[in-house]
Amino acid sequence: MTHPNPPTTREPHYDVLWPLSRKAVKATAAAPRIPDLNGKTIAEVWDAILRGDTIYPLVREYIKARFPRAKFVGYDEFGNFHGAREREIVAALPDKLRAHRIDAAIVGVGA
Amino acid sequence: MLRAAAVIEKLGIPTASIIGSGFLKQAEVITKGLGVPLAIGVYPGAPMVDSEEVLARKVEETLAPGLLMGLTGEAPRAADAKAEPAAGQVVFSGTFDEVQEHFHRQLWTDGLPIVPPTRERIDAFLAYTERKPDSVIRAVPQEGREASTLSIAVTGVMAGCRPEYMPVLIAVIEAMCDPAFRIEDCGSTPGWEPVVIVNGPIVKELDFNCGQGMMRVGRQANTSVGRFVRMFLRNICGYRIPPGAGDKGSIGQSFLVAMAEDEETAREIGWPTFAQDRGFAPGENVVTVHSVVAITSPIYSGGDRAVDHVQQWAEVMGHSFTYWAHTGFKTGLWNPLIVAGPSIAKAIAGEWSKDEVRRYLYEHVKVTAERATHYARMTSTPTFSLEGLVKDGILPPEYAASSDPQRLINVIIKPEMIGILVAGDPGRNQSRAYMGNHMQGPPTSRRVELPRDWAQRIKAKI
Repeated sequence: MTHPNPPTTREPHYDVLWPLSRKAVKATAAAPRIPDLNGKTIAEVWDAILRGDTIYPLVREYIKARFPRAKFVGYDEFGNFHGAREREIVAALPDKLRAHRIDAAIVGVGA
Repeated sequence: MLRAAAVIEKLGIPTASIIGSGFLKQAEVITKGLGVPLAIGVYPGAPMVDSEEVLARKVEETLAPGLLMGLTGEAPRAADAKAEPAAGQVVFSGTFDEVQEHFHRQLWTDGLPIVPPTRERIDAFLAYTERKPDSVIRAVPQEGREASTLSIAVTGVMAGCRPEYMPVLIAVIEAMCDPAFRIEDCGSTPGWEPVVIVNGPIVKELDFNCGQGMMRVGRQANTSVGRFVRMFLRNICGYRIPPGAGDKGSIGQSFLVAMAEDEETAREIGWPTFAQDRGFAPGENVVTVHSVVAITSPIYSGGDRAVDHVQQWAEVMGHSFTYWAHTGFKTGLWNPLIVAGPSIAKAIAGEWSKDEVRRYLYEHVKVTAERATHYARMTSTPTFSLEGLVKDGILPPEYAASSDPQRLINVIIKPEMIGILVAGDPGRNQSRAYMGNHMQGPPTSRRVELPRDWAQRIKAKI
């Protein structure tokens, strides 16, 4: 892009510092996938928004058609992780997932 | 939402997340900050506006296959991390215009020219704190970058702040880093904006405008501190609008200049200041950060009785805020903030305490249960139920006192959630109210730590 006011050689130069800061993110690999979901238990984890109550049953039906012995644990078991109790509910997830012997999870809806 | 998926994935349980296609860029930014690659199934478009048939077709053809692949196919892999400069490293040399172009191309500006962050300018800011440049308050979402003293100074320089604002800037970022503030939600679709509220002797010492035109761009302290907040969210947190990503404010709003209280008037009329209401002692320097998702029209009121004014506030707040109050009902929290013009505050204070004002507003701003439920369901929450929220202990019992959908419920959940700040034009009878975005960005305060020789240094500046 051509600047409307080209600089002259008399202008001062500025040595400017990087305006961002260090990322402090510890990288973790994704969990191994499960090619055959038959006999596996899938958690539905929902934030209670954006029509998940309609979407989850349709997704469940789609997966069951391909893996008839897949089992599902509905979102009511895990709570709304986007609401007033978000932090408590997320903190409680590991125990609940273990209690239900969950093998995989579908999490929604949003970003 | 992806934060929950990351928690599960890190347990060794494969996840697949349901993401609307409009959120994919934001999801990419968030995932990098979470440190674990996540599988995604895409819902094309916006589910809230699709018919049942269209929704079913999109699930069958796109979303469900994507989710299934996410659980059964190859594990997602993290994109190769790009090497980045070290904090404090010189990354560019050039003229003023060249610096602007470079920063603009890198998405490091807010669209306005920035002050070039040179070592000398940054050092001048750092001289106003005893903290080391590499001291870190915490790593902040969405990119997981460190909120360091140096990053605060660099952003302050770029935003056009003066070096002596540095103690205020640190306190602002400390408040925003408090988990209660939920900085991780600063890019949510309602597009709320944090506003900084300043109390204490620094209002005068740093020349904050608490009088006429207090919320206009034009006074350096108010303006540059407001710009600093938005620039920090953009550069350090990673909330960028297109062509960047991470800020999903659907329409959004501009940065808000910082507010300051007219403490002389507050003292004169016998009301505690906003900071005193928040538990600080008179004379303490305090900043509070507060989300703003909506602002009323100017509220003009006349009369020499308290009720003449507060009734007007109740009506205008009711018209402006009732629609969005359902988000507060869902979370059990939302905070209205009233900026009371000094002449109005004086008239009210002749009869009522601040708590009496709060009580009146609490009792007089109402909505029917049917409307609140309708608004919630239109926004995003198909399962919204006042009865359910009462049962879960999120709302007080009176919200489910009857099953009549036309029953009136309080828009303001508790009187103490209302903030009152005296500021504005002493020569006019105007107030205004600001709405916080439910549990996102509730008022969060920090004491401002001044350097030991502050008094001499400020005196030398004047």
